[in-house]
Amino acid sequence: MISFEKHRLDNGLTIIAHYDEATPMVTSNILYKAGSRDEDPEVTGLAHLFEHLMFEGTHEVANFDSLVTMAGGENNAFTNNDLTDYYITLPANNLETALWLESDRMTGLDLSDNRIMTQKSVVTEEFRQRYLNQPYGDLLLLLRPLAYKVHPYRWSAIGMDISHIEKADSISTREFYERFYNPSNAILSVAGSVRPDDVFGMAEKWFADKEGRKTGIRALQAEPVQNGRRELIVRRRVPAAHLVMAYHTGERSGRDFYILDLVTDILSGCESGRFPSLLVREKELFSEADIYLSGELDPGLVIFSGRIRNGVDINRAEEAVASELGRLADEPVSDAELEKARNRYESLRLMSYMSAANKAFGLAFHELLGDADGINSETEKYMSVTAGEISECSSRTFDRGNCSVIYYLPEDQ
Amino acid sequence: MIKQSIKSAPVINTPSAGDTSFPDSASLSNGVPVYLIGNGTVDLLRVEFVFNAGQRTEKVPLAATATNAMLSEGTLMHDAVSLNELIDSTGAIINHIADKDSASLVAVTLSRQLEEVMALASEVLFQSSFPEREFRIMQEKRLQAFLTSRQKTSVRAREEFYRALCGDTTSYGRVAKADDYKSLTVEEVRKFHSDHYTPGNMYITVAGHNPEQALPVLERYFAPSEAIPWQDPMIPEMTFTTARPGSIFCEVKDSVQSTVRLGWKGITRDHPDYQGLQVAAMILGGYFGSRLMRNIREEKGYTYGIHAVAGAFRNIGYITIMTDTANIYREATVGEIRKEIKRLREEEVGAGEMAIVRNHIMGEIARMFDGPFATAESIRGIIDYDTDHDYYTHLAETVNSITPGKIKELFITYFNPEDAFEIIAGAP
Repeated sequence: MISFEKHRLDNGLTIIAHYDEATPMVTSNILYKAGSRDEDPEVTGLAHLFEHLMFEGTHEVANFDSLVTMAGGENNAFTNNDLTDYYITLPANNLETALWLESDRMTGLDLSDNRIMTQKSVVTEEFRQRYLNQPYGDLLLLLRPLAYKVHPYRWSAIGMDISHIEKADSISTREFYERFYNPSNAILSVAGSVRPDDVFGMAEKWFADKEGRKTGIRALQAEPVQNGRRELIVRRRVPAAHLVMAYHTGERSGRDFYILDLVTDILSGCESGRFPSLLVREKELFSEADIYLSGELDPGLVIFSGRIRNGVDINRAEEAVASELGRLADEPVSDAELEKARNRYESLRLMSYMSAANKAFGLAFHELLGDADGINSETEKYMSVTAGEISECSSRTFDRGNCSVIYYLPEDQ
Repeated sequence: MIKQSIKSAPVINTPSAGDTSFPDSASLSNGVPVYLIGNGTVDLLRVEFVFNAGQRTEKVPLAATATNAMLSEGTLMHDAVSLNELIDSTGAIINHIADKDSASLVAVTLSRQLEEVMALASEVLFQSSFPEREFRIMQEKRLQAFLTSRQKTSVRAREEFYRALCGDTTSYGRVAKADDYKSLTVEEVRKFHSDHYTPGNMYITVAGHNPEQALPVLERYFAPSEAIPWQDPMIPEMTFTTARPGSIFCEVKDSVQSTVRLGWKGITRDHPDYQGLQVAAMILGGYFGSRLMRNIREEKGYTYGIHAVAGAFRNIGYITIMTDTANIYREATVGEIRKEIKRLREEEVGAGEMAIVRNHIMGEIARMFDGPFATAESIRGIIDYDTDHDYYTHLAETVNSITPGKIKELFITYFNPEDAFEIIAGAP
């Protein structure tokens, strides 16, 4: 049980405080409801570029990072399709410095052309380093536009194409800032050895005088139901073929998410899972075979990803995966498998929430889903999943016509 | 418009390194040292078994990593599938990894499953059977990963640096070849295992809530009466043949970026300058506001990140700077790195920058000892490299007392431009 207190300022800022006396540190985590889904399809990658600009100084504080460092803190941020998250972990007695810096950059950024230009170049190198200069690095960049045709999940947070980053300018970045960066569009979550009352007092001091604004409705055009299998074949300089199979599923807060999270654990969550046992060891089709949920707020994907053993026909490998997924619908999973997945959930949850930083983000994320207390009630959702639900959900999800397939092949194959 | 009230920035409290004291230890009846790291508030225990079985001890290429990777692929009592089924049904998370200087297995478990998990850990560590079929599958998988890594510029540049630093004839410097994966035999792996995975060749750390509860359990499974008693680890003699400094180019076809690495031979942990060098490397490229990050990322935009590290294996030290950059920027990047080093060899670091770096390192040390699991990872360096138990207390003292004059002197001594290896891995 992760206890917390919640408070909302008049300007709309939600503040969550969790007291953890086991650490001498504290984490300030501020989540903005702005992700790559909020971008113009012509200028994708803007939310992530903006995340970089948030470290570039304000009219008041020229160097954000040096002040965090002076306070003994470490900080970073990430952007995904749904949100942008900023966190600072530092000694508890310096929490106010973190909150001051967050409040300052929420509205006071100095968006000079020079800064924007340099960060565009940095992000271009990030695009190359993480996605283009890595073997298999562009797999997920290829998958999104194959699986989504309408919804903005059809591009990744880094952007649809490296050329889009070039198009961002001071006007589009300023518009993005004004639209999404304000108290009513943010959740501040603090976890560590600072009492909730003190957290609320400091947050009030630094955020209460900011103006809340309407961000506009975030409702996006729903992705139409996929009718028929989609296939993409690419060839790259890689030593072995790779297979991706992605199926559409429901939204993050729906029942299917919890059912399929356990399903993917039963299939590939651990070494004794069905995929490592059957596809890797017994049939020797793959050298690794993994399945996971993409986990976005709006209907997401369940993604199989496997590196094919040399000499194995990729069609045969695909059939074997499809047949294992089909078996979930036909035969109920055993009590032992379900029990194992529940036990692993319990241990992994305990491990993850040993860290105050993880608790801070977890609370903010569940608040984004609708209620921070979801971090606690979630356990019951996992524990109550039945074998019958798994069969029913699997037969709906793992349908050939609902599948997008990528054959990622070596150049000579 | 809401009126802005005038508020002054909060006062920053100078961070301290916190409690970095070395944990209590005990030993099993056969002499195996057990380090006990307490104060956990969650009902989990992290138990790590560390063996003197890293790459430095291998006589056949890949023997150390292959042996470690094969540990949970079957034992005298269980085949791979049933063994993993047993492990996973406890809910424990077990990982094993071998690096240059050591090999280890870590188990994280709920306290109530400790007995079961320790019994399995003992079976995995000491009764591994290395079945032929699993060995073949594992080696094919490792070969595939190796071939994939040939396309990674960062991996290729790192290999070239260690090769230049330590020489081809040592396990620190040797670069694996595809043939090594095919020629390694299961007998060689079994031999490596029986030579190195013995209770007499390991130590244990236990971290979490009430770690003392593990002692009787460990005694049952890890102090068999027939085993050879624990002895101080044998460190193999190594002769390094460091290459002549200069440029090394490693071609990686079609890569859209190059990895740039500058490197020097450094010093080992017992050298009086070792801790000072940590501070020097931090100023140059150890944090977001470092000289290299500010210039090459934040001003020029040549890279997503650039880092400088001063480190050491057991018998040799190194200093290295690494970054990935577009092919067209790589010469300019090398030029800027050299320029920043030149500045630090000529001008003393100012008081403001010294304060930032001091506080940064203090915060870093505090995070390294934030909770029992983090502490368990942090003290491994002290045990593995036989450094003094108060290493981090002394590091904090060094950080607080080191002068800008001394920093400049360290740059002059250890960052001589003519002694550098300059490695580029990328497209021609």
